[in-house]
Amino acid sequence: MASTRRVLGEPAALSGISHHLPYSNPHMLHNHPPDTSFGRNQEESSFDFGELEEPIVLGGVKINKNKTKETLYSSVKASAILEMLPSWPIPRQRESSKSGEESTDSGSALIKPDSESPISTKAPSDHHKTARAAAEDDSDREHDDLQPPQPPLQSPDIQMESARTGVSQSKSAAKQTTEKTLRRLAQNREAARKSRLRKKAYVQQLESSRMRLSQLEQDIQSARSQGLFIGGRATTGNISSAGAVFDMEYSRWLDEDIGHMSELRAAVQSHLSDGDLRAIVDGYVSHYDEIFRLKGVAAKSDVFHLITGTWVTPVERCYLWMGGFRPSELIKMLIPQLDPLTEQQLLGICGLQQSSQQAEDALAQGLDQLHQSLLQTIANSSLNDSMHHMVIALGKLANLEGFVRQADNLRQQTLHQLRRILTVRQAARCFLVMGEYYGRLRALSSLWASRPRE
Amino acid sequence: MPYQSESQSYYSSSSRGGGGGNVSSEPMETVIKLASGSAVVVFSVSTCCMCHAVKRLFSGMGVSPTVYEIDQDPKGKEIEKALTRLLGGTSAVPVVFIGGKLIGAMDRVMASHINGTLVPLLKEAGALWL
Repeated sequence: MASTRRVLGEPAALSGISHHLPYSNPHMLHNHPPDTSFGRNQEESSFDFGELEEPIVLGGVKINKNKTKETLYSSVKASAILEMLPSWPIPRQRESSKSGEESTDSGSALIKPDSESPISTKAPSDHHKTARAAAEDDSDREHDDLQPPQPPLQSPDIQMESARTGVSQSKSAAKQTTEKTLRRLAQNREAARKSRLRKKAYVQQLESSRMRLSQLEQDIQSARSQGLFIGGRATTGNISSAGAVFDMEYSRWLDEDIGHMSELRAAVQSHLSDGDLRAIVDGYVSHYDEIFRLKGVAAKSDVFHLITGTWVTPVERCYLWMGGFRPSELIKMLIPQLDPLTEQQLLGICGLQQSSQQAEDALAQGLDQLHQSLLQTIANSSLNDSMHHMVIALGKLANLEGFVRQADNLRQQTLHQLRRILTVRQAARCFLVMGEYYGRLRALSSLWASRPRE
Repeated sequence: MPYQSESQSYYSSSSRGGGGGNVSSEPMETVIKLASGSAVVVFSVSTCCMCHAVKRLFSGMGVSPTVYEIDQDPKGKEIEKALTRLLGGTSAVPVVFIGGKLIGAMDRVMASHINGTLVPLLKEAGALWL
């Protein structure tokens, strides 16, 4: 039965046809959760009884075990549904009043708003033909088109079937095509239902994650304000005073960043004038200039604090490059999100990515040479003049600050050039994307830290 | 650029050719003379890592600068003093000249590369062909 349905698994071209009893098999009942979103379903073009399977079954619908379960379900379902939920509004009115006469096909069933007339659930006209439950054809169009030959139904338990005994069975050929159509419809409905359920589950998952995320951010915020955390971590004794000062300044900068972000978001959504938007965008550039300045001050006192990266969250630390973000990586992330760009802008941005990449490589090679030279100095010291070599090593180590400063300079220049290339509106969106990107990296760290562990 | 105007004022105040000018301008003249000698000139110290970074930056772009290692040059001390004065008191190296014009230390070089002015300067000086 399942196989026959699969064969007709065409894209849901006919899924717009509403009101049908989807093919149901006993397995499916266990697969999907009881769905109470009837109202929502009604807005969709396809009205799906599938969600009612479980409640129907749970409601104690009597099913004749003699029949193939599918047919039973489908045949009983419509009537049972209305009996259980008589006031349930049906999106599409059924024109035909009499099940027997309306029935276009063995597989179609009519659902009437009033439960008075038995729902013409169409058990398969030929039991052997429709191994699976006949889908209810809810399209009046279909009803009109299909010839309603009604072979005698073989399930005396079901009231409707007996009502159809009088229908002629002459057009078996037409019936077959209608059966195929109905099977196809049923498959489409089933697929649509499944995808709706999947979508719902996914959305629910997203919603809960989002709520959890905001909750975590709130917790961190409150903990931070209580002074428990400096720079997002509990203070240990290992942070130098310069490092601690920088951490505090950085956490304040992060708070201001949130403010800038909401300002940018509101400005972009509310379509401010270019002049107002420019002020906000330039304010964000100055916001970054500020952190580079603070880092410069901190590098003078404690460059290792910046390099080891305890001031950023763990996930950010994975991607830390010379005490901060890697400009070429940022540009690479931004390029696809900056559409639409003019030809010239695209050239400029790609050129920016290339030049920042070259500058990064140059700095990295210089730093590498520093490492090698430092190690050589330490390794070469003999017992006699080890102190001398240590002094030399100290001198070399002092160059570290220069590299971090050049890296920050590179980051700052990249942001400024980005601002120059883009229009005000593009820059606003660009900075929004950038801010959200780094915000997500930070949030990822929070989520990771609070993940449940066995 | 402030550097440029400073070097130009030095240039105009001291006599050309190095004969008879006051002593303090000689190193500067040396520097300027060396700087004008090639399309791209880098004053460096052989053990300086930032100088190494500048050299790698140019070679990565396909440029072959003329490098003066002032720790290996007999006139190194003077050049170092002149460069320190030129840059305003920070470290003397690395310093880059392109087409005889002072570009500056590493931060200026990188800034001009990022804002797209370095490549045109290099092309203008004949150091880059494509």
